[in-house]
Amino acid sequence: MKPPAIYSTTFASLRDTDTVADATRRMLDDRVSDLPVVDASGALVGLFSLHRFYAALLPKGALLGDGLTDLAFVSDTLAQLRAKMYEIADDPVRTFTVMPEHVVHPDTTPVQVILLLHRGANNIPVVSPESGTLVGMVSARDVLVALTAAGAG
Amino acid sequence: MHGETHAAAMLFGLPPIGVATTLFVLTYAVIMSDRLNRAIVALLGAGLLILVGVLTQTEAMAAVDWNTLGLLLGMMLIVNITRRSGLFQYVAIWSAKKVKASPWGVMLMMSIVTAVFSAFLDNVTTVLLTVPVTMLITEELKVKPYPYLFAQIFASNIGGTATLIGDPPNIMIGSATGLTFNDFALHLTPVIVVIMAATMVPIYYVWGRHLVATDENRRHVMNFNESQSITDRRLLKQSLAVIALVILGFMLQRQIEIEPATIAIFGAAVLMLLDNVGRDSETQSKNVHAALSEAEWITLMFFLGLFILVHGIQKTGLIGMMAQMLLKATGGDFNVTTLAILWASALLSALIDNIPFVATMIPLIKSMAPSLGGDAALLPLWWALSLGACLGGNGTLIGASANLVVAGLADRAGIAFRFVEFMKVAFPLMLISIAISHVYIYVRYL
Repeated sequence: MKPPAIYSTTFASLRDTDTVADATRRMLDDRVSDLPVVDASGALVGLFSLHRFYAALLPKGALLGDGLTDLAFVSDTLAQLRAKMYEIADDPVRTFTVMPEHVVHPDTTPVQVILLLHRGANNIPVVSPESGTLVGMVSARDVLVALTAAGAG
Repeated sequence: MHGETHAAAMLFGLPPIGVATTLFVLTYAVIMSDRLNRAIVALLGAGLLILVGVLTQTEAMAAVDWNTLGLLLGMMLIVNITRRSGLFQYVAIWSAKKVKASPWGVMLMMSIVTAVFSAFLDNVTTVLLTVPVTMLITEELKVKPYPYLFAQIFASNIGGTATLIGDPPNIMIGSATGLTFNDFALHLTPVIVVIMAATMVPIYYVWGRHLVATDENRRHVMNFNESQSITDRRLLKQSLAVIALVILGFMLQRQIEIEPATIAIFGAAVLMLLDNVGRDSETQSKNVHAALSEAEWITLMFFLGLFILVHGIQKTGLIGMMAQMLLKATGGDFNVTTLAILWASALLSALIDNIPFVATMIPLIKSMAPSLGGDAALLPLWWALSLGACLGGNGTLIGASANLVVAGLADRAGIAFRFVEFMKVAFPLMLISIAISHVYIYVRYL
């Protein structure tokens, strides 16, 4: 019996022409913190992550070198941060899309996937090695589901 | 050793001076090309000098100025531990609020803060600490950050010239000549204050007077709570106490007869002790590892290789020949030689790394002592070298490491620093600073 796939083939994704507002809406609807971004051919362009989105709300100085050890002295309110968010709401997601450090293939071994998750990856895109097309996503939860599934292995 | 040197000559069909000169020129050319990390190049060059027999390993190790390396390392460790307390951030924000966040006032204060930090810290470390705060403030004020960053580049290079520990060329000069922290403070700080003030005047006319920020944006900065930027009050107190004692040690160097490297390394060790006492062994290892790994090992290894390289050409007689050529060009006139060193150092340092330049000039100047009235008479030449080499770095974007670091940080924030655009304002400003130094040296020493 073939073991169940470790990755999810039903997943939310964005087109590279979608806006930041589209992306945040999708994140809230689907309760995810990373969304894969694909081009017209379905090839992976990168990930739009909350991590990157939040960086856009921070002062640029906070992202340079080690000079600002923290921002506790900045008293920007939620309303001010929201205003910053609205400023970038219509920007295309590709501006904030980064290629993830790790991408796996459908035949990547489970132990390799677990190693990547252990090292800090959250949501790893699964791409076809031949076409570069996005075929799935694998998260820590997907692995747990696969590990505990009846008849696994 | 003689046999080894002879072997080198036989190997390359060149006399030792030819082998050493070829290696020296090649090494400097590769360093200037920026194609290879400078620490790799300097260590390779030094290693080759030993391998071909120009120097023995014992001679090479004896050529390393451990006082310079120790002073650099000690200060790097102290700064790396202190920065965790949030002290530098606090001072920068406090200074911006002192001028009610007015755009020109902020530029002036951030420049002064940068210059003062730079007088006691390495220039690159200084700009790494101050540029992010400047970026934050200019973003809140909604003013162009370029003029602020430009002023900070100048301030870091000018401020670094003021003291023994502010810029590597001064550390090298102090270590090679026995000039103390107080000597540098008494002879260089006064003219540096004048140069700093004179530099800010054109900057005001070029940019400062055009800067405008709305009251609301200024209020954003005034709402910064600088006391919140202190992240570790215990560490802050410990750091301030150690820094004060280290500076006191530098000031009393002649009386206590302890070299600056010992003072700095001992200070760093005391600070690490205070920071780790009472903590479990795992935390201690983590803290000490972090402090040591954040030291600029590339710079330290670059210095190490450089000292060996320069000693190689010194031993073969090249430095002596270069000194004689310089004396011939200046007619052996003390005043002309001094001022020629000032201007040549400035112009060359605007284009090439001032560290290898100063490393070469130190033995060269020393070898001119018999023709210029002995070691004691060389004092003005040392100040000319220091002022020229440190201030010359302001002339172009590639003139000093701090310039490139600021340009790199600015680039990451989407602010372009272009070579020609920078030079259009920077080179004349650098010439003004050298002209002031010229007058100062002439009036005070010649």
